This record gives sequence, structure tokens and C-alpha cells, in this order.
Amino acid sequence: MANIAIQRIKREFKEVVKSEEVAKCAIRIDLLNDSWTQLKGEIAGPPDTPYEGGNFKLEIVVPETYPFNPPKVRFLTKIWHPNISSVTGAICLDILKDQWAAAMTLRTVLLSLQALLSAAEPDDPQDAVVARQYKDQPSIFRSTAQYWTGVYAGGPIQNSDYDQKVRRLVDMGVDENTAVATLSSHNWDLEHATEHFFS
Amino acid sequence: MKFKIKSWNSVAIWKWLANDDKCGICRAPFDGCCSDCKIPGDDCPLVWGVCSHCFHMHCIMKWLAAQQNQICPMCRQDWALKSDLP
Repeated sequence: MANIAIQRIKREFKEVVKSEEVAKCAIRIDLLNDSWTQLKGEIAGPPDTPYEGGNFKLEIVVPETYPFNPPKVRFLTKIWHPNISSVTGAICLDILKDQWAAAMTLRTVLLSLQALLSAAEPDDPQDAVVARQYKDQPSIFRSTAQYWTGVYAGGPIQNSDYDQKVRRLVDMGVDENTAVATLSSHNWDLEHATEHFFS
Repeated sequence: MKFKIKSWNSVAIWKWLANDDKCGICRAPFDGCCSDCKIPGDDCPLVWGVCSHCFHMHCIMKWLAAQQNQICPMCRQDWALKSDLP
């Protein structure tokens, strides 16, 4: 990898480790190997959002041409959010695409992602199903995002009604993650979700 | 008392007068050099944009070469070199 990329990542790594956000456990970065190209990030769900109390893991791949091109970031933890694919974890955020600037750092990227969790952009969606629910059924969106935070990100809030519906589908032989995703996409209408599998 | 100076060693220090202590592109201190250089100073100079942001010349050249729009990586204004030094 180019000199500038490695040296910059090393410097940034130190900056993040020393930053006050790390002290507050809001963000962290870990190395995966010695190459400095594969990193693991983690952000805490912001307060007063359905993601509160959850910890979201991120895959960060630093390109050869860093910092002239943005790092490739995706969510490893499953999350229900209009700008993040509920299937792949791919993120729709302008600074990770054409609005990247060399002065941005891993720290500012993680803080931007945290801000994205607080303020979704449903008109520029990555996941159209989630975005439609966000606009048309805001209260179902909130409880679904909260449920996913509880199931996948270690969040505190349980929902026994949703649990039961998932259990019903699992009992019919559906994989648990698929059951959660399908029920979420069908606004937790068990009948419609079941039809999706058996029609 | 008279004495005669046979030789002396002069010492000078210099530093860049930048508005920040490190380059926003390589994040190395301005008093050092960019990632590809070994010797700070005239071999690895700083340049200022009209937006007043300052970078190692080698770093900003690489950034501009990688972009379609010639913008400052700090403030996104159009990048143009400031002609006179501060």
C-alpha cells in the first residue's frame, strides 16, 4: 500500500484512541491484521433514537489510494434504517461517495455515521422498503428499528409481540433472520408475511 | 585581555508559519514533510489556497489529481493557489 495511506491510518488510529469519543465509549476502532487495510469499527446507537443502547459493528476497508478516495464502510451488525441495507449493511452516505474529502478521517466518518442514525434521509434511501415504512408508518418503523437493535445490537428493549410472531414463522421452518426481515418488511402482519413464504 | 576566535558553529532554526500545525491530507506535522519526502523545507514546501487552507504541495497536488472538481479538501471551495505568502 502507498506510503501516505499507511502513515495516515497509523496517525489516525492514534488520534481515535486518544479522542474523547472513545473515552465516552461512543466510537472505537480495532485492527484486524497487520496490514492496516482492514479495520473494525464500532459505534454506539445515539440517545433518543431507536438505536439507543445498541453497539453497531462496522467493516472498514482502506483503499490503496486513501486518503484521496474514501474508506469502504458497511455495517456488520444488522440494522433497520432507511439509508442502510437491511440485507447487506451497505451504507448510502454522500461523504463515503462523491462528497469525500481528504481532510476527513476515520473519526469523522464514524461520527457522521452516528449522526446518520440520528437523522435518516428517507428521500435518498439505500433500502427502499425501510424508507417507505419510515415515511408511511413511523411508529411501526420506530418499534421495528428498536426490535432489531435489541435482537442484533444488544439493545435493551424487548418486544414479546414481535418475538411471538417470529417464533411462529420459525416453527413453520423459516430461518430466524429471514423471519425477522420478512415480518419487518410486512409491517409485522403475520398473515402477509406467511403468504410471502407459502404462496 | 585579548582573545582570538578560531572558529564558531552557527545554529539557526526555522518553521513554517501555517495556520495549523499539521497537513490535513497526510496529517503529518508541517514542520516535517509529506509521506514521500525525507527532508523538510524547500524540498517539500507548503502552499496556501485562496481559501487560506494550507497543505504540503505534494499532498494537495495528489488530491487535485485524484478529483474531477478542483476543490479544497478542507472547505470544498474551489481550489486556487494564493499568490502572495502571508
